[in-house]
Amino acid sequence: MSILVRNVTKRFNNHLALDRVSLDVPSGLLVALLGPSGCGKTTLLRIIAGLESADEGTVLLHDEDADKLNVRDRNIGFVFQHYALFRHMTVHDNIGFSLKVRGRPRKEIDERVRELLRLIQLEDMAKRYPAQLSGGQRQRVAMARALAARPRVLLLDEPFGALDAKIRKELRDWLRRLHEEIHVTSVFVTHDQEEALELADRIVVMNEGRIEQVGTPEEVYHHPANPFVMKFLGQVNLFHGRMEDGEIVLGPSSPSAQFAATGGGGTGEAAAKQSSVVGYVRPHQLDIARYQNGSPSWPARVARINAAGQQVRIEAVLLGENRPVEVLMSQERYNELALKAGEEVFVKAKEVKIFEAAPLDYTI
Amino acid sequence: MTATTITPAHKIVRHDPWYVRVPLIAFAVLFLGIMVIGPLVNVFTQGFALGVGVVASAMQHPDAVHALKLTLIASVCAVVGNLTFGLAAAWSIARFRFPGKVVLNSLIDLPFSVSPVIAGLIFVLIFGAYGFVGPLVFGETRIDIIFALPGIMLATTFVTVPFIARELIPVMEALGPEEEEAARTLGASAWQMFWRVTLPNIKWGLLYGVLLCNARAIGEFGAVSVVSGKLAGRTDTLPIHIEKLYQGFGAVQTASAFAIAALLCGLALLTLLIKTFLEWKSKQQLCEVAKTEMPMAA
Repeated sequence: MSILVRNVTKRFNNHLALDRVSLDVPSGLLVALLGPSGCGKTTLLRIIAGLESADEGTVLLHDEDADKLNVRDRNIGFVFQHYALFRHMTVHDNIGFSLKVRGRPRKEIDERVRELLRLIQLEDMAKRYPAQLSGGQRQRVAMARALAARPRVLLLDEPFGALDAKIRKELRDWLRRLHEEIHVTSVFVTHDQEEALELADRIVVMNEGRIEQVGTPEEVYHHPANPFVMKFLGQVNLFHGRMEDGEIVLGPSSPSAQFAATGGGGTGEAAAKQSSVVGYVRPHQLDIARYQNGSPSWPARVARINAAGQQVRIEAVLLGENRPVEVLMSQERYNELALKAGEEVFVKAKEVKIFEAAPLDYTI
Repeated sequence: MTATTITPAHKIVRHDPWYVRVPLIAFAVLFLGIMVIGPLVNVFTQGFALGVGVVASAMQHPDAVHALKLTLIASVCAVVGNLTFGLAAAWSIARFRFPGKVVLNSLIDLPFSVSPVIAGLIFVLIFGAYGFVGPLVFGETRIDIIFALPGIMLATTFVTVPFIARELIPVMEALGPEEEEAARTLGASAWQMFWRVTLPNIKWGLLYGVLLCNARAIGEFGAVSVVSGKLAGRTDTLPIHIEKLYQGFGAVQTASAFAIAALLCGLALLTLLIKTFLEWKSKQQLCEVAKTEMPMAA
């Protein structure tokens, strides 16, 4: 079932939680609402669920105006961050609840519960109470409970937020597989960009009650619409500089850090003027070299090397600005360079993004 | 291979020295003994001083029986009324945002702070023969409120207003709305949600509140005195009946007074026992709540 959000606005006292937010969620997709705390993502999810009502705007569930429907008639499944399992009911009764309140016969309920217990791999836990389960088990029961009545939309509010890292990863994979099997339209809220990038078909990046960008994980990661999206979706290094006549000088002023701006879709006027710019570079798009070799680079000193992990993280301080940048490189490259802390090297950039009023994408 | 071991710090036990513990405990026990236990034991002693026969006839006296009936009716009315109010108020305060919420919350405590005599007087001033609406009500319905059962019911209900609400509000606030929201998203109607999810979760707090309300209602004296007019055999509740017996002359009267008082004390002790059990159960449940909120490894 598709979800259409049209110009939804929501205020809490004087705080504007959502500002004319519009969104299309096509049927069958797994969509992430991603953003920092307070950006409105949970509020939006709850409005879609019917747990809150919008001050302005509409929500259409499968082209039907949802305002006429209250929570229980929307046929949605909601998974809460802290599970919200019914503490005085067994796992079996929890999962079967939605069918019980609909007056389904006992046999049907038992069968459906058995089916779901198999799906979440907790067949022996039917008689247990929530207090006797671990966090990961509780969340799986919560999901089974939400799915019992075959909802057309599954909404999850930071479903793995209360779990530790390893369990989070396991459940993430499990949710992805579940979605592939069941294909129910799903929207989940998270502030963890890694989770969103890994799980979602589409990511909706939100900030301060507005949508910053909607796109596939590749789109939002590699082609961020603005600095906020870029900064939120991963580490970024910033370089301040100036653009004059189509040439950009970034970082501590040195002739060696001059870039010729190529590409981009800006108008001639914008490109030709003098203006200060900020260049955004991801750590893995920076490289370290011992010699300048003609390409734009900045002199720096290696401050810290963290070689534990899949890739090597190097903190280098730009001389002249005395500001650290983070460089991410493969173990092979690191071994090639044989870097040591305190060495003076050159930091090179493979790709720099510059955002202006009309978003332009400069590739160097 | 060298490994630095970290030894766990030894358990910190609050162990005040004996010259602090002993006097404190002794004082508490002595205070309780003199102020509470002594007098209670005395009630039973004096009540049975002239033998079981006197006790039996005191309890079977028609005035006593009528007083007991009146007391029970008033207390049932108070419990039912305040149960409805308490649930509604707790729900509104714990779940809704509305202007004046703080005011409502404070007003609930008002009957606590008002002297019971004043509480009784309030109703006389409103419903009495010279009161605001008294003549009107009598004119329309020919029902007496003051110096009659309705007045007693009103006064008793008034003084016990806070008990149930005060028990339920913190319980409902601690539980949070998630389970109820979950029930709604799963398709439960409002009644189904209340019956299947809310009620089981608040039952211990609810029972505790009902018990306290009941205990207070049975023992209420000041407000009911003012409102009932103390007409023997007609508008006497048990506490008023006891007072009358005690005011009377003679050892039998006195013993009877204590005998009925012993009945009330017996009820109070029973209430205390049930209350302690429910308190323990309720604490247990809140511990469960705390446990379920804690993240655990799978």
